[in-house]
Amino acid sequence: MRTAATHPAAGKAAGIEQGVWRRRFGGALTGLAIWLPLVASAGHVVVFTAWTTWVSFTASSLMPDYTWVGLRNYFAVTRTANFQIAYVNLVIFGGGFVLLTMALGLLLAVLLDQRVRGENVLRTIFLYPLAVSFVVTGTVWSWLLNPGLGIQKVVQNLGWTDFRFDWLVQSDKAIYTLIFAGVWQGAGFAMALFLAGLRSVDADLVKAAQIDGAGPWRMYRRVLLPTIWPIFITVFVILLRSAITSFDLVRALTAGGPGISTMLPTLVIYDFMFQRSELGRGSAAAVLMLMSLVVVMAPYGLYVRWQRQKQARV
Amino acid sequence: MTISLTRRRLLAGSAAALAMPRLARAQGAKPRITAISQWSAGSDGAAISALGKLFEDRGGVWQHNPVPGFTTDMMNKLRAQIMAGDPPAISQLKGPEIAAWSKIAPTVDISPLVKTAGYADKVSAELGKSCQPGGHWIALPLQVYRLNTLFLSTKGMERAKVSKAPTTWAEFNDVADKMKAAGMIPLANGGNRPDDGQKFEIALAGISPEIYRRALMQLDTDALNSKEVLAAFEQLRKFANYMNPNIAAQPWAVNLPAFVKGDMGMVMTGGWAQGNLFKAGATVADFSSGPAPQDSGPPCFDLNADCFIFWKSKGADLDAGQKLFAEIVMEPSTQEMYSKITGSIPARTDVNLAAPGFTDGQRNSAQVLRDAIAKDRVVLSLAHNMAQPNGITAAMIDVLTEYVHNSAIPAAEGQKKLVAAVAGAK
Repeated sequence: MRTAATHPAAGKAAGIEQGVWRRRFGGALTGLAIWLPLVASAGHVVVFTAWTTWVSFTASSLMPDYTWVGLRNYFAVTRTANFQIAYVNLVIFGGGFVLLTMALGLLLAVLLDQRVRGENVLRTIFLYPLAVSFVVTGTVWSWLLNPGLGIQKVVQNLGWTDFRFDWLVQSDKAIYTLIFAGVWQGAGFAMALFLAGLRSVDADLVKAAQIDGAGPWRMYRRVLLPTIWPIFITVFVILLRSAITSFDLVRALTAGGPGISTMLPTLVIYDFMFQRSELGRGSAAAVLMLMSLVVVMAPYGLYVRWQRQKQARV
Repeated sequence: MTISLTRRRLLAGSAAALAMPRLARAQGAKPRITAISQWSAGSDGAAISALGKLFEDRGGVWQHNPVPGFTTDMMNKLRAQIMAGDPPAISQLKGPEIAAWSKIAPTVDISPLVKTAGYADKVSAELGKSCQPGGHWIALPLQVYRLNTLFLSTKGMERAKVSKAPTTWAEFNDVADKMKAAGMIPLANGGNRPDDGQKFEIALAGISPEIYRRALMQLDTDALNSKEVLAAFEQLRKFANYMNPNIAAQPWAVNLPAFVKGDMGMVMTGGWAQGNLFKAGATVADFSSGPAPQDSGPPCFDLNADCFIFWKSKGADLDAGQKLFAEIVMEPSTQEMYSKITGSIPARTDVNLAAPGFTDGQRNSAQVLRDAIAKDRVVLSLAHNMAQPNGITAAMIDVLTEYVHNSAIPAAEGQKKLVAAVAGAK
């Protein structure tokens, strides 16, 4: 029997051959490990989105039923009070949540940027709310904001018997309670991004401004914040996406609110699809929400492409 | 040539023997049943567990997966299992949903079992009809609840100096005002959608069962635009003012201790409140119950019934389990035990409710049901998915729950929204 010991030349050649095959096999295995999950998950998303869009044009109710009905589901969904209240709420909640979170995050970042002593500890503390799931946030805030159990009762027990803070059970104010809970959770995230941005500004720029006599307020307003404005855009888009697709926060905090006053588009979809067993209308609501997300993301995509082209030209 | 027994052949042979299907077992299959329902907690959970124990005492294997929440959550799980091709052997289902769902998955024809037990004559005709959408029995009714039941706290009545239960809505409003003046919460608050819906239907049933039938069951536009529906909306606004808005965000069970202590005067809901009160530790002396106010004529009966539907399943043990379950459910002793725990009245009309364990409230309910059937004053509950399929019910309850929680909406506008919701959902 031939062995490497008896035929050294043949053994060396066999070794090289083995190395080539091993490399080729390793390369194929790596490719498989990367491409297979990627194709599977991307295909999964694309295929099911396409199927949902198709179902939204059919007469499906309890089970999928592929009779084509055109835009009937869309008209039916947009005419319900549920849907109209939900989109008004989305504007209020989305706008309030994004603006307040960015403002609070920026304030915290600027304050932490002052090289305070407990910076690491403080940064961790501000980031803790992000580690909690939205369901827990919603549940705990629903207890805090409940007039019979939470803040109102505590302050009344302390002596201020006329104190009222029952926004949670008032139809016109309940949507603002969602903003509180959302800002509490998201401000840490915004702070972390802004702080990283502030720290990444070129030190020469700061020194030049100091030499020119800029005080801290002017330094921030004229030099640092304008330099990190791409981060503003990033935070804005991420928070807006989070506001549009927020489901578990609303569900845990108000479950649609007193009556239907804090409905959001995600709850409308869930309601139609799973509570009312109307798959066609639920799918139509889902496609409409996808459209609203595209309205947000498409400008951002165009902006990123414009940035890249600008850099390429420079 | 002889085949010698080698070790390899021995191993291969035993592997093959182990891999063979167990044919001998299937003959004497132990009856097994898989079930889903919404009854996970409280007196309902206790009752279904007792039923399961009864099933196991008779030699079956009981596998019940309750889905906590309202009926719609249970129906979601049911649909998921049906679409996966693995429906449970039985599931809770009620009203028009039985007909709707029987079209999407095959069911078991239990007419022979019903015939043997002579069950068809023992349950009310309407209930029986809802369980036979295709002309043969595919579901069995278990219990019946009267939704328009008024529970009064004994201590609460003393505190507000109210001596007798109100019999018309005007009297009800007087009693509630007295309770409010005494510093109590007059009416218990469910805080969730079905409860807001059921308060409206109780108001309408108390004003006119005929208009209820035409408006909520047949969705007649003229009936929906009638002055009786407007009066029901006005009464609903009064209910909203008698409820405590703070409890809206908490689970329903927080009402019970306050009710027993006398801080809350009245609860207006179905008979299951009795079961929940007993489970929470109350006694018969703590409350009284009777029909909700009826403005004219004898009290009507707002019906909510629970049935079990039988799905076609694979496996001889599941078939045997379904047979055993059907027999157990149709027996009067089972229904008696079940109703004693939940506070309902049995679906069988021949169960003797004079037996101890039943309350006067249940006996009154059963009597009202008998009279109402005779005088055609039985209406089906809207909020509990008996009168309409899910899509229409949900659209109407959207309007009702918004109206209850937003005091800026006047009654006339609420009525207009209801008409629009029905038109949009049809």
